[in-house]
Amino acid sequence: MNLASTFIVATLISATNAVDVARADVVVVMNAQSGVERLSADDVTNIFLGRYRRLPSGANAIAIDQPTESGLKAEFYRQLVNKDLAEINSYWARLYFSGKTSPPNQAATQSEVLNLLARTPGGVAYMERKQVDARFKIVLDFSP
Amino acid sequence: MPTDPKKRPLVRDGILVRSIIATVLVFFLVGVATVTFTAYATRERALQESDRRLAQLLDTVESTLRIACFVRDDGLAKEVARGLLSNTELLRVTIDDGYESLADMQRGESGAPDDTASAAAGHNVIERDILSPFMADQVIGHIRLTPDPAVIAQRIHDDVKLAAIQLGWQLALIAGTVVIALLFVVVRPISDMSNHLHGMDPTAGDRLPIPSGHANSEIGRLANDVNVLASRLVRALEDEHALRIRREVDEKKYRAIFDKAESGIFIVARNGLLSEWNPAFARMMEISSAETYRGTLFMGELPWEAPAEIAELLDNILADRCAANHDVLIKRRDDSRRWLNITLSPVGDNLLQGVVHDVSVLKAAEAQALLQAVTDPVTGLDNRTGLESHLQSHIKDQLLNDQKGFTLLIVNLDKFRQVIEGIGVPAGDEILRVVASRLSAVVKSDDTLARLNADVFCVILRSLRDSVTIENIVGRIMQSLHQPYIVDGSPIQLTASIGIAIFPNDGTDAPTLLRHSELAVDKAKGAGGNSSVFFAPTLAESAEQRRHMENDLRLAIRDKHFALFLQPIVDIQNNRLSGAEALIRWRHPSIGLISPEKFIPIAEKSGLIIDIGRWVLESACQQLLAWQRTGHDYSLSFNVSGMQIPKGLPPESVAEAIGRYGIAPHRLALEITEGILLSDVDEALAWLYGIHALGLNVSLDDFGTGYSSLSYLKRFPVQTLKIDQSFVQGMENDGNERSLVQAIIAIARSLGLNVVAEGVETADHLRLLRAMGCHYAQGYYFSHPLPAEEFAIAEERIAALLDAPA
Repeated sequence: MNLASTFIVATLISATNAVDVARADVVVVMNAQSGVERLSADDVTNIFLGRYRRLPSGANAIAIDQPTESGLKAEFYRQLVNKDLAEINSYWARLYFSGKTSPPNQAATQSEVLNLLARTPGGVAYMERKQVDARFKIVLDFSP
Repeated sequence: MPTDPKKRPLVRDGILVRSIIATVLVFFLVGVATVTFTAYATRERALQESDRRLAQLLDTVESTLRIACFVRDDGLAKEVARGLLSNTELLRVTIDDGYESLADMQRGESGAPDDTASAAAGHNVIERDILSPFMADQVIGHIRLTPDPAVIAQRIHDDVKLAAIQLGWQLALIAGTVVIALLFVVVRPISDMSNHLHGMDPTAGDRLPIPSGHANSEIGRLANDVNVLASRLVRALEDEHALRIRREVDEKKYRAIFDKAESGIFIVARNGLLSEWNPAFARMMEISSAETYRGTLFMGELPWEAPAEIAELLDNILADRCAANHDVLIKRRDDSRRWLNITLSPVGDNLLQGVVHDVSVLKAAEAQALLQAVTDPVTGLDNRTGLESHLQSHIKDQLLNDQKGFTLLIVNLDKFRQVIEGIGVPAGDEILRVVASRLSAVVKSDDTLARLNADVFCVILRSLRDSVTIENIVGRIMQSLHQPYIVDGSPIQLTASIGIAIFPNDGTDAPTLLRHSELAVDKAKGAGGNSSVFFAPTLAESAEQRRHMENDLRLAIRDKHFALFLQPIVDIQNNRLSGAEALIRWRHPSIGLISPEKFIPIAEKSGLIIDIGRWVLESACQQLLAWQRTGHDYSLSFNVSGMQIPKGLPPESVAEAIGRYGIAPHRLALEITEGILLSDVDEALAWLYGIHALGLNVSLDDFGTGYSSLSYLKRFPVQTLKIDQSFVQGMENDGNERSLVQAIIAIARSLGLNVVAEGVETADHLRLLRAMGCHYAQGYYFSHPLPAEEFAIAEERIAALLDAPA
């Protein structure tokens, strides 16, 4: 199994960088000053899919999506609710109609995600583990 | 029915109306049941389908609903609800997120939904949990769909209506078809048959037509059955008619028989009332015609001699229930009595049928026969049967009343047979009648007289056992019977022998008394007759001895215990031995020699003489053969008993013996006595001629002692006379005897007969006889009878005697 997965990962890395990134270790992070230590998968789901956008402290939570091209976004939703991006888009399309809730903020680049999160104390985003620096704090780690 | 039967309408209670009512009723019920079931089934189906459609509807909006509930978007929820309500079947849609309502919308009104309407929609509200679009096991809301009941009701109504209409048409069509079929297939033919039956006359040959097309149906069979029944009824009627006619004829016939019958026929009820009788009965019973018409005649009113007997007879037959036959006596108006034989048999419980014959003539004949059975027709006295019954009643009387006893006499006329031979049977009967009247004159009126057989009479002297008186009476009887009887103007004298037995001394029963008195009379006869003998036990003993002897005699015949002794017969004119007379001796094993005088009578009585006679013939032939062989020309004679003539010693058997031994017939002579010639003249004559024709000599033995009719000597082929020894022995002293012998010799000579003198015992006898011209002599002077083997000795002795000077 390990041998196989290593083989697959090697193959993918040799093919494209994006894919290489997508297979990267995605973690949910928040501003280090947010005061939140951990979030459950449900909490993250509610925040990103618009059901309940508040932190356990009661402060507003602001979800930030990575750019679609990065591959991190698809990886994140797959990890979180086991849906592909088409399904996530279809989901949001239905909710546009009533306008009661809206999708997370869409960053244009990965670095924008980092900037946004660094500026927003209630922000919740996801990134590769290697991107996490001192400004951020991992609140949900998908890896076992 | 007042209406014309030919055009009778279909009746109200007829098969058709009933069938229609029944069909309609059944079909109506079936219809109702079907429609009810259809309604139920339709409703169930409609509800199910409604549920199914709503569920499908719900499926189409489920993902949207999930999203709406996930984000608690009431706008989206309401939109979904509105979309759902566009389905006409839905009445109300409620959506909530588990805490609060997101949408609650009802058809027809935009405002607040009416809860009561939802409640009225009933139980079949569809409620479904809404799951999170991201977590499959998390319930995030509910939706409730309330179907519109009116819509479902409408659908049910429409379905039921359609079903009802279809069913109605189908049922109506079937009912109509059934009714029409009934009308044409069943009702019409039956109605037609009924109409036909009404006008049908089976006796005229009318029969039901088979309805067309029904040849093989039940109706056709019914019509056939009706026709068969009609034929059977017609036949039964005809039979009944024929029977009635025959019964009438029979009735007339039997009535004629009844009226004309010679037998009286009647019917009598249990109470004795005569209900019917025929003219013959009326004549027998002397029922007047007036009584016939009056109609109440009872059995008891008829002239029965003993009415009680008749009443009892009726009762018995009714009780036993079987026919009975009875002879009854009636007394007629002229006082004559008639015997009627009446046969009564029960007819049913209380009736008797009787048949009556007049049997008076039969009864009289019967009485006559009864009388004849006990009466001797010649003398009118009792016969043996009558005597025996008298005797028995006497004995009974004696035993019952302890009387003094009585005496039985057997009276036997001596030598009556010979008399009959002489005077003929009618004259003999006349004598018997005179004897009867003389006997009745001597005895008392209450004594009994009977004739047992030919010349034997019997007298019962009542209350008498004193021997002196008996002898007195017996003496008077003998004297009376000794009086001469005049036959054809000539007197005939008879004597009687009488045997006497006394009750109870000489026997206490009838057979014994009779046997003993018969023994006594035999004794009297044996003593020469004209005497009376009282029975003595010795008589019975000697009778017993005779019986013993008879048995011994049978054994002797079987074992040939006989011997022939020979007594020489001497030719005294030529002084030579001419032959011998063979005399039989019985060598009894225990007694020794027995002379013929002792056993021949017994042999004659028992019939054994026949066998003895045959033995004698054989032995005589053997003797002659022996002489012939030794060159002697001697003759040999032997005695023949009357019992042997003619059947016991037929000339044929004599001829056969002579032939067998090859002896000269003229050397054999048969000695017979006069008695033989007296008995049955014709048969004896035929026998004699038969013997004579064989060339045998016949000697007449004991001549002079019996009847000694000289005429016989002419009539019968006899060659020799043997003068009885009593005459020869009387010659010496009695001149009469001597002249008698001389006369016999003279007559014999004149008739060309030889004469043998018997009993020659002395030389004087011989001398006299020789002087008288007698041919032959026999007697002790020459020799006693000797056994054959000693005959030679006699030969020598006789030769010596004859040679000696006289």
